[in-house]
Amino acid sequence: MTQSLYSPEFERDSCGFGLIAQLDNQASHYIVATAISSLARLTHRGAVAADGKTGDGCGLLLQMPEGFFRAIAAETGLTLGRRFGIGQFFLPMDESAATPIRDRLGHEAADLGLALAGWRPVPTDPDACGAEALAALPSVWQAFLNLPADGDIDAHERLLYRLRRRLEKRFAGTEGFFAVTCSSQVIGYKGLVMPERLPDFYPDLRDSRCASALVTYHQRFSTNTWPEWRLCQPFRMLAHNGELNTVQGNRIWARAREAQLATPLLPMAEVLPAVGGGSDSFSLDNMLELLVQGGMDFFKALRLLVPPAWHNFPHMDPELRAFYEYHSMRMEAWDGPAGLVLNTGRIAACALDRNGLRPARYVITKERILNIASEVGVFDYDHRDILVQGRVGPGQVIAVNMHSGEFLDTAAIDARIKASHPYRQWLESHAVHLDADDAEGQPAMAVGDLLSSEKAFGVSFEEEDQVIRVLAEGGQEAVGSMGDDTPVAVLSTQPRHIADYFRQQFAQVTNPPIDPLREALVMSLNTVFGAESNLFEERPEFARRIEVHSPILSDQTFRALTSRSEAQFRARTFDLTYSAADNTLEGAIEALSMAALDAVRHGDVILVLSDHALDRDRLYIPALMAVGAVHHALIEAGLRTRCNLIVATAHARDPHHFATLFGYGATAVYPYLSYAIIRSLRERHAFSQPVTEQKALENYRKGIDKGLYKILSKMGIATLASYRSSQLFEALGLDRRVVERCFQGTVSRIGGASFAHIENDIRGLVRDAFLPRKALPVGGLLKYVSGGEYHAYHPEVVRSLQHAVKTGRYGDYQVFSGLVNQRPVTNLRDLLQLRPAQAIPIDEVEPIEAITPRFDTAAMSLGALSPEAHEALAIAMNTIGGRSNSGEGGEDPARYHNNKVSKIKQIASGRFGVTPEYAVNAEELQIKVAQGAKPGEGGQLPGHKVTGIIARLRYAKEGVALISPPPHHDIYSIEDLAQLIFDLKQVNPSAYVSVKLVSEAGVGTIAAGVAKAYADRITIAGYDGGTGASPLSSVKYAGSPWELGLAETQATLRRNHLRHRVRLQADGGFKTGLDVVKGALLGAESFGFGTAPMIALGCKYLRICHLNNCATGIATQDETLRKHFTGLPEMVINYFRFVAQETRELMAGLGIRRFDDLVGATGHLQVGGAQTSKQEHLDLRPLLFNAALQNADSNIHTLDRNPPFDHGELAERMVADAMPALERRIATHLHYPIRNVNRSIGARLAGEIARRYGNNGLAEDCVQVDFQGTAGQSFGAFCVQGMRMRLHGDANDYVGKAMNGGTLIIAPPEGVTYASQDSAIVGNTCLYGATGGRLYAAGRAGERFAVRNSGAIAVIEGAGDHACEYMTGGQVVVLGEPGVNFGAGMTGGLAFVWDRQRQFPDLVNGELVNYHRIDTEAMAGYEGLLRRHVEAHIAATKSRHAQDLLQHWAEFLRDVWLVAPKAARLDVLLEEAS
Amino acid sequence: MSHFSFIEGPRKDPEKLDAEQRRHEFRELYTGFDLGSARLQADRCLHCGNPYCEWKCPVHNYIPNWLQLIVENRIEEAAAMSHETNTLPEICGRICPQDRLCEGACTLNDGYGAVTIGHLERFITEEAIGRGWHPEAPRRTANGKRVAVIGAGPAGLGCADILNRAGTEVLVFDRYPAVGGLLTFGIPPFKLEKAVIARRAQLLEDMGVRFQLNTEIGKDLSMTQLLADYDAVFLGMGTYAAKEGGFPGENLPGVIKALPYLIGNVRQLMDLPDPFTPFVDLAGKRVVVLGGGDTAMDCLRTAIRQGAVQVTCAYRRDEENMPGSRREVANAREEGVHFLFNRQPLEILGEDSVAGVRLVETRLGDPDPRGRRHPEMVAGSEQVLAADVVIIAFGFDPSPAPWFAEHGIHLDERGRVVTNAQFQTSNPRVFAGGDMRTGSDLVVTAVDEGRRAANGILDYLGV
Repeated sequence: MTQSLYSPEFERDSCGFGLIAQLDNQASHYIVATAISSLARLTHRGAVAADGKTGDGCGLLLQMPEGFFRAIAAETGLTLGRRFGIGQFFLPMDESAATPIRDRLGHEAADLGLALAGWRPVPTDPDACGAEALAALPSVWQAFLNLPADGDIDAHERLLYRLRRRLEKRFAGTEGFFAVTCSSQVIGYKGLVMPERLPDFYPDLRDSRCASALVTYHQRFSTNTWPEWRLCQPFRMLAHNGELNTVQGNRIWARAREAQLATPLLPMAEVLPAVGGGSDSFSLDNMLELLVQGGMDFFKALRLLVPPAWHNFPHMDPELRAFYEYHSMRMEAWDGPAGLVLNTGRIAACALDRNGLRPARYVITKERILNIASEVGVFDYDHRDILVQGRVGPGQVIAVNMHSGEFLDTAAIDARIKASHPYRQWLESHAVHLDADDAEGQPAMAVGDLLSSEKAFGVSFEEEDQVIRVLAEGGQEAVGSMGDDTPVAVLSTQPRHIADYFRQQFAQVTNPPIDPLREALVMSLNTVFGAESNLFEERPEFARRIEVHSPILSDQTFRALTSRSEAQFRARTFDLTYSAADNTLEGAIEALSMAALDAVRHGDVILVLSDHALDRDRLYIPALMAVGAVHHALIEAGLRTRCNLIVATAHARDPHHFATLFGYGATAVYPYLSYAIIRSLRERHAFSQPVTEQKALENYRKGIDKGLYKILSKMGIATLASYRSSQLFEALGLDRRVVERCFQGTVSRIGGASFAHIENDIRGLVRDAFLPRKALPVGGLLKYVSGGEYHAYHPEVVRSLQHAVKTGRYGDYQVFSGLVNQRPVTNLRDLLQLRPAQAIPIDEVEPIEAITPRFDTAAMSLGALSPEAHEALAIAMNTIGGRSNSGEGGEDPARYHNNKVSKIKQIASGRFGVTPEYAVNAEELQIKVAQGAKPGEGGQLPGHKVTGIIARLRYAKEGVALISPPPHHDIYSIEDLAQLIFDLKQVNPSAYVSVKLVSEAGVGTIAAGVAKAYADRITIAGYDGGTGASPLSSVKYAGSPWELGLAETQATLRRNHLRHRVRLQADGGFKTGLDVVKGALLGAESFGFGTAPMIALGCKYLRICHLNNCATGIATQDETLRKHFTGLPEMVINYFRFVAQETRELMAGLGIRRFDDLVGATGHLQVGGAQTSKQEHLDLRPLLFNAALQNADSNIHTLDRNPPFDHGELAERMVADAMPALERRIATHLHYPIRNVNRSIGARLAGEIARRYGNNGLAEDCVQVDFQGTAGQSFGAFCVQGMRMRLHGDANDYVGKAMNGGTLIIAPPEGVTYASQDSAIVGNTCLYGATGGRLYAAGRAGERFAVRNSGAIAVIEGAGDHACEYMTGGQVVVLGEPGVNFGAGMTGGLAFVWDRQRQFPDLVNGELVNYHRIDTEAMAGYEGLLRRHVEAHIAATKSRHAQDLLQHWAEFLRDVWLVAPKAARLDVLLEEAS
Repeated sequence: MSHFSFIEGPRKDPEKLDAEQRRHEFRELYTGFDLGSARLQADRCLHCGNPYCEWKCPVHNYIPNWLQLIVENRIEEAAAMSHETNTLPEICGRICPQDRLCEGACTLNDGYGAVTIGHLERFITEEAIGRGWHPEAPRRTANGKRVAVIGAGPAGLGCADILNRAGTEVLVFDRYPAVGGLLTFGIPPFKLEKAVIARRAQLLEDMGVRFQLNTEIGKDLSMTQLLADYDAVFLGMGTYAAKEGGFPGENLPGVIKALPYLIGNVRQLMDLPDPFTPFVDLAGKRVVVLGGGDTAMDCLRTAIRQGAVQVTCAYRRDEENMPGSRREVANAREEGVHFLFNRQPLEILGEDSVAGVRLVETRLGDPDPRGRRHPEMVAGSEQVLAADVVIIAFGFDPSPAPWFAEHGIHLDERGRVVTNAQFQTSNPRVFAGGDMRTGSDLVVTAVDEGRRAANGILDYLGV
């Protein structure tokens, strides 16, 4: 436990990466030099520390430059043998610490039969380092090791590996010691410097003798700036761009498997534990290395760790599928966004995660040089010298065998691994598949006394009705609105479910959530039973496992699993109940763990943990605590992978309950009480539709499955196997002892409920359970119920606020603020009190008018709100100098330039209505990374809310539902966020760019990353915020209190000297001046208010916003209801002025005159006011740590803006060159060369045009710009009418992002030899959020082409996966092969696809679209349309491929599909498109 | 069923008897809902995140929940849920001033018409019983404890219900010949027909509650005896001392007190005459009722039904501030009652019997610090209202029994029984609740008191 809320485990990193290889293995210094210059051209993907000089780290991994080291050895008098290896070490600067390490190496080397030829101090130049890097500067040393004469390369590498492991284990705790590499095949050079300074720091790299045929390189962007030399990449084998979301689970499983590992090649005891901490990438490198050194084939190991999606690909080659299935039984995937480059000296490889969330582009030149990197164009070549130009797709691997010169594509690699054993045959003869949906029979565990069981396990009528029933009825979770206004579990006076103490973690910024609905094909809940086997062996009988498709067991499956006769599936049940008289909760858990260990030692495999035997006089161990404790005890004893844990529990009812059980190690869950409740509901005719028992139970399981998908995807995790045991929760309010015993390794920052508290709650529940006079509690967790859980917006609070804003009397406001400020403890801040101080007269405090500009209203879209309510908020905020937030949904241009304008304009994942004109009419552009009500999730505006005006503003169709994806498809990593911020600053340089994050453990380090990505402002939202509609389990269980997130962020930013660069805002449940003062003391300079101003306008907190039937006329588009809206801007103004006045009074009480002096002054707070024993048990001191922070940054922002290091010179030049003509609307034509470092080209100009002429005010093609070369990311972003940009060369990701008009043309320069339709010409996520304009690209596009396009017309010659995802308008022509999942979530627009391979039906996602042939007479109109597009494409790009197609038109037409939304009528669609 | 039911279908009360017909009958005004209209009306509920109805309801009925169950035609479950918070739901559904409570707080009351909660509450139990449902008898064997309940009114019944459900042996004593207290003898049958209470009494008996009627504690049976025979005693004896106006002429013949008048009338109708509360027939009389509460309304409308020729209500505040249910005021008006607001009585005039009432006009003064506005007399606005009979309906004060002191049951300065939060009096084995503890209040409040007191008793008895 650290003193503050920051912890190193929260660190995240991401980056740019690459690989360069001479395919004939001809070493040269050119390769090394080019790697370095390429790295320098990826600088914008890394980050620069506050000192402006320290990078987040970069490095090279070189195929051993043997000649260079022989020369060096000769120069320094070291004798090298025929074979040698080099250990590259970071050693402590302090010689007294370094000497023992060097000595030890000599001893260990000798012991292993290696001969230490000597040490070389590696020349380094500290001048290349910034101050922060220098603070941790190591000395770099090379150990020259002569290898034994016998043995092959692999044997030698193993010896060097063992040597390294011995040293690493021996000096694990030694500060400053790190083994960079220790190998005869590769050597790593890395450091905390900017890429171009790397050869300055290591003169070796500039030495022309330093020649290599293969180098991998990496540029890091870390969310914090702690100087960590060791975490620079590449590691020993790989460099990684992305983030492994599952790493915590992977590490736990790696440890759990250790006892089972055995290979004759390695003494396991010597190398284990092999998987260390550090970063996620480091752990993956450790694991891969262990597998390879242990004898596993390199490609098998790679595919085992990072497999492609295969579960939902029925068309996959069955032999290959069998390989993946067999191995999926042995290890879970290391899952998350991953672009990997690998270098063993002998093999060069690049691999992508299953969802292709990182870019990897490659070229092979005529000199047979292969370059793969995050971006294309990172080294200088002539396009005419390119042989092949491509990209690595989702789940793909490409590799080069450096010895044979063979280039291996995915198919070749797959062919190799699938043929190594007859996996399919092994599976067919051994694996057992249980069908999860067998007919229901009798319950496997019947519930005798349902009412008592419900009461004992805390089921309420509300839960029965709103959660379980809804799931059983529709197979979907219920939806609610207006967030969560109840106390978190530990603050509550009610007994709460143990899972309530856990907040789900979710992906934000450094990693993306997945869309589990539209990208379902990567997801799987497949679950395997039976003991695991030694990873280093592959034997047929290892396939003897039982597989089920879902871990939610039906009665039938549960019975089948627990009653098998074979010894390898022997089951045993453990009772989770215990005698209240004879034992304590803690004792019972201890006994249970011992019993489980004993059973596994005696050969039991399927352990059933059951609380079914509960009765009066007995208590129970909450299943979650039981499973967590047993799981860890088994790992500790090396037994975990020999058994499975089935939890048969009454405690698993909603998706979160299940997720926590899996997160803490459960293999499968049998929710017998939920089943009994569903059966009873059915008997009581509680279902609105008649449904059979079997169907109801199936629905329930399906609903839980979906809920699990959602929770997994929120963390960006695709498979349950990888989620299991990943512990992706923050414990909020659990005592350290409880965490250590049951939830080891979980973050629990403020202590809380102890075993005694939990047991006491259970005792009360069980006592009442058997008291007949106690009825089933009605509930009150979701909605207010008298006598139930406290709600911060209970009826009286709402009424008193509405009264006060109407009368305008401060006295009436004080009735409201009194109710709030003296409420029972509800939020963490209620336990923080203002310390008495010397008061000053209130006249000395700055006036109300100085305070209200710190107030913003939280993002609420027009769509969520009625136009009347939305405008009332805007007018009110503009009047008091604050800002209202447009929310996600565009804004009517009629509101620009007057007091109805929303000064904050939001950029959310749906990019609805985000046009150049929208962007330039903002004072602040807010990127909503997550929202409090449902972080990590997307949303949907149902069709009935999409009225005419909303459709117009969002570029959509009236009545057609609109989907907001869970991720921003252009933010899969922190450097992507930096790019989006750059885009926005280019289009509107005068706007502040803010980033909205949701509080969770580690949000402070994410915020640090965001500050380094050049955001000007950061908002930390709490779980309690949020007005939007959201599934209930997201409302209740995701996100943590802003108090924690804010305090952590304040301290982390200050510690990293970043605080002065960003303004910090808090958001979530703010109601009174006291809230504001406490928020300020914890570090906030401004405040977001969501619900309170709504209530001031007349919202009665009905929580029915998602139904469009808001009776107060606020959250509705219904004409009739909107007439009932009685809110006035004055009410909102009154409210905020009251809050400001109360703030002033409190400031006077604290003796503070200026608000700035409040910010971060945690010394004015003290802990107190606990009303329950649990509350007393909390330790909130870490929240108050800020004031004591030494040598840290200022408490407030002192820079108005946080300008990017990239000044966008080319863009500025373009504006300067175009401006004279532009001002006078005279046509002009400009020419420029372009390189990958020129980013967002066009956006700056587009902003200037939109500012003067709006979206449509400038004549077509007024400004024409030609470019030659490779464009950086976001080429043509925000392109607007009047612009025509032609690029001869190629482009990277995000081409045409948010474009609204104009034309973009990208074509290979004349004279190239490669075929355009086989080559990648633009990167991923092009045309994201485009609302108009045209794009012609003569080549293939990457993943997610035209995602959320709502108006652009595009012609391309091939597409990656997920093309046209969520498209709502526009037209896309794909004159080449498309990828999988075409048209997912597509509700508007149309696409033509040339399907020469005739496999489109397998590729399209048919949920929302149909596909039609167009070679019939009836479709002649469409044929004409297509022809016009092809002709326009040829005219623009001169594509030979397109010309060929046109010449063979009839033939071509036979293989064309028209893809159209099911909701659209073909005749209307054609009319609109023509 | 749709999310827009509340605008698609307006609020609609069940059919009401025609006013002309009502004037002559002591029958309930409202026919009940049929299932179809009940479901339509229940479906208007918005299921607010903040159920203001439930919050405002003294027993915090789970109103949105049972409305939903009505929509789903799960009437038996609705009835069970309704009984979880209320012992007498069908009675409260009839006589609660919903327009000041649940329906007044209903979100839809702003501009759409509140959900007809009262009638639906009544409907649930009526429909469920019609389907053969009845409240569940205790499921467990007796807990071995015996508790005596004094008073078979709302508080006593509420208390007995909960005690009985917990397996306690309960005997309810009442001095009247029928169960119900004022429900039976005070409230006129046009609001609450006596068969409804009789049926409720039967339901309670079927569940195991026993009644001993015609038994006045302190007269027919001593408290000492009760304390000897029972583990605990609950007092739910109400407030019976009529408040006086304190002006001249109050003792004139023809000035009568509201409660004896109402009781006499009911006893006459039930054929249970009693010399202490004789039947008073106001046929052909000019009647003035002083007061503005529900009791006043009951008197006015009883007088109409008895054939009084002129029936006038004189109340000292305006209509807005009158405590009586607006619905009952409206019904009274329809039936021919004449209302005089802002009139304060100064004197009842007459030689040997009432001849009239001298009134003065009032207006509401400025709000006091708590926001309440008190009437002030308007100088020079006196007037005389001719009358044959004046009924005083100013409310009730506590009427503590003489034996309280002897058993250590303490009272506050206003004569109310003092208890702790568990409803325990200063005699640890004696508990109390309802009007005698709170002062005169609503039926539903008394029910709630009795039920909560029962839990206090059970906790005290450790069962």
